[in-house]
Amino acid sequence: MCQSYIYGMNREQFCDLERGSSEVSVMTTNASSTAVDALRDCEEKYRMLLDEVQDYAIFMLDPQGMVISWNAGAERIKGYRGEQIIGHNFSCFFPPEDIKRGRPEEVLRMASANGRHEYQGMRVRKDGSRFLASIIFIAMRDPVGNLRGFSEISRDLSESKESGAKYRGLLEAAPDAMVVVNQSGEIALLNLQAEKQFGYRRDELVGQKVKNIIPEGFAERLVADGTRTAAEALAQHMGTGIELNGRRKDGSQFPIEIMLSPLESAEGILVTAAIRNITERKQSEGHLLKTMVELKRSNDELQQFAYVASHDLQEPLRMVASYTQLLAQRYKGRLDSDADEFITYAVDGSNRMQGLIKDLLAYSRVGTNGKALHEISSENSLKEALTNLRATIEESSAVVTHDLLPAITMDETQLVQLFQNLVGNAIKYRSSEVPHVHVSAAKNGGKEWIFSVRDNGMGIDPQYFERIFIIFQRLHGREEFKGTGIGLAICKKIVERVGGRIWVESKPEKGSTFCFALPGSDGK
Amino acid sequence: MMESIGTNAAAIEVLLVEDSPGDVRLTREAFKDAKVHINLHVASDGAEAMAFLGHEGKHLNSPRPDLILLDLNLPKKDGRQVLQEIKESSTLKSIPVVILTTSASEADILRSYLLHANCFITKPVDLSGFLNVVKSIDNFWLSVVKLPRETR
Repeated sequence: MCQSYIYGMNREQFCDLERGSSEVSVMTTNASSTAVDALRDCEEKYRMLLDEVQDYAIFMLDPQGMVISWNAGAERIKGYRGEQIIGHNFSCFFPPEDIKRGRPEEVLRMASANGRHEYQGMRVRKDGSRFLASIIFIAMRDPVGNLRGFSEISRDLSESKESGAKYRGLLEAAPDAMVVVNQSGEIALLNLQAEKQFGYRRDELVGQKVKNIIPEGFAERLVADGTRTAAEALAQHMGTGIELNGRRKDGSQFPIEIMLSPLESAEGILVTAAIRNITERKQSEGHLLKTMVELKRSNDELQQFAYVASHDLQEPLRMVASYTQLLAQRYKGRLDSDADEFITYAVDGSNRMQGLIKDLLAYSRVGTNGKALHEISSENSLKEALTNLRATIEESSAVVTHDLLPAITMDETQLVQLFQNLVGNAIKYRSSEVPHVHVSAAKNGGKEWIFSVRDNGMGIDPQYFERIFIIFQRLHGREEFKGTGIGLAICKKIVERVGGRIWVESKPEKGSTFCFALPGSDGK
Repeated sequence: MMESIGTNAAAIEVLLVEDSPGDVRLTREAFKDAKVHINLHVASDGAEAMAFLGHEGKHLNSPRPDLILLDLNLPKKDGRQVLQEIKESSTLKSIPVVILTTSASEADILRSYLLHANCFITKPVDLSGFLNVVKSIDNFWLSVVKLPRETR
């Protein structure tokens, strides 16, 4: 028996002794007694050596599975002392459900048929607790091939050096629930977070199917991820994992995000599952989505309101304006001077109201009539704006110059309007000098184009830098300058529609420079 | 509302389809200075316009208009529908239809021309603009342009 035992060990672990072992069989049949003594001595040494092995349970079974030897590792791992277990059937190391389906007989049958059988499975200690073990069965046969018994070498995976202490330390440090699953879909290891999230004690989960806590999708994911390399798995970050549902011990479900990565260990490939409870994230995502939908609705409504209000107000106002004007045309000087004055104010008021409504409509149309963005020549847009301003430019003898302007991605109609408003303002708010306007563009950090419209006009007091961009805000009386105060508000809306900014740099009487930045709009 | 002004046999018959009395009056004021004598007939909604053109009910003896001024937004039958029916009718489609509306929407403009409107005019918001437009209609459609002889 010892010969065979050593033979088995030689095959597996001490292959350099294999040669020696075959010598053993030869020697025991026809060698001298001194040689036999030497061999016995050698066997004794090996047995002592094996007896002292702590990390592995190494023991032998007779052909029926009866335990016939026991080492220190077996005692430590399984909790039986030699005299307590020798003579008992090894099936008591298996969980009841495995015994029920004939697993102990099956592994012996397979070891016998194939010479050896290696697998990972749950084992039960003397005290009834379970652990995942890596197990090798080796059939032992005499030189003529009769089955003499089996040796089992097994290791408690939950305490193995690689996947054990160090790995467990890492697991416990992780902020997410971590579960290590073997190829059969059984939980081999888990951390405190996993216990908390799923509401189980650790020993209630070890050895259980992972399906019990993640009912659907996990197995499919396991197969899909099985083909990935460790590097690919590492390249994937939390936040891009698959979303599934976890089930607590009490049956309640909660949304989880799960990331799997293969862990090559001495026991074969295990899968580490990082499981994050995303209940809060789901809630805030839902809340954010709701808020965004609400914001969009309210924005659309406001846009629609401004348009409808100004559009529908225009119709009755047209009647008021037309008939007060008709009254003025037909009856001015034919009634008394009071009537003339009243009619003048009525006509003036309705005219101003028409101006405001027209501008309000124009303002709201920046949002509703905006066209798709295309790559266009900003220089052509400026030229078109200058054509539209020809009368103003000629009337004021203004000089408008520009640098080479870039191709950008923009709504062309709106860029023309932008230039037209800014150059128009530069001429309108001129100083006593002949207006000189210069348009240029520069790249800012390679990302955005910053356009500048510089003038030698009257300039603006810094305290008004913000206010001038607000709708219907004016710095001058109607007698000084015409207009409702819509121009810069429209400029701001055009620029902000494409995610840009607009601002002014100026000193009173030193001219102004209006700048606008169009982000990510570089054509070249 | 249905009214006719003047009954001169040599006059040009114009049908104005317009629901706003204010606009009707302004149009009439503008036509006062017209170079030709105009019989202005007014239908205040689309259904009445079609009844006028079909000589139905009280419009049994209505004349066939030489020109139609059509508003788009009308009660009962919409101006777009009226336009479509006129242009689908073998007897009516030769009558020029001028769309005269407050709408300036690209969609309305395109749709009107697709329905064979003869021209599309947005009502100017100020009085002088409006008077000019009516004067232009008078100048162009009623003086410059040769209209087909009645083909009833």
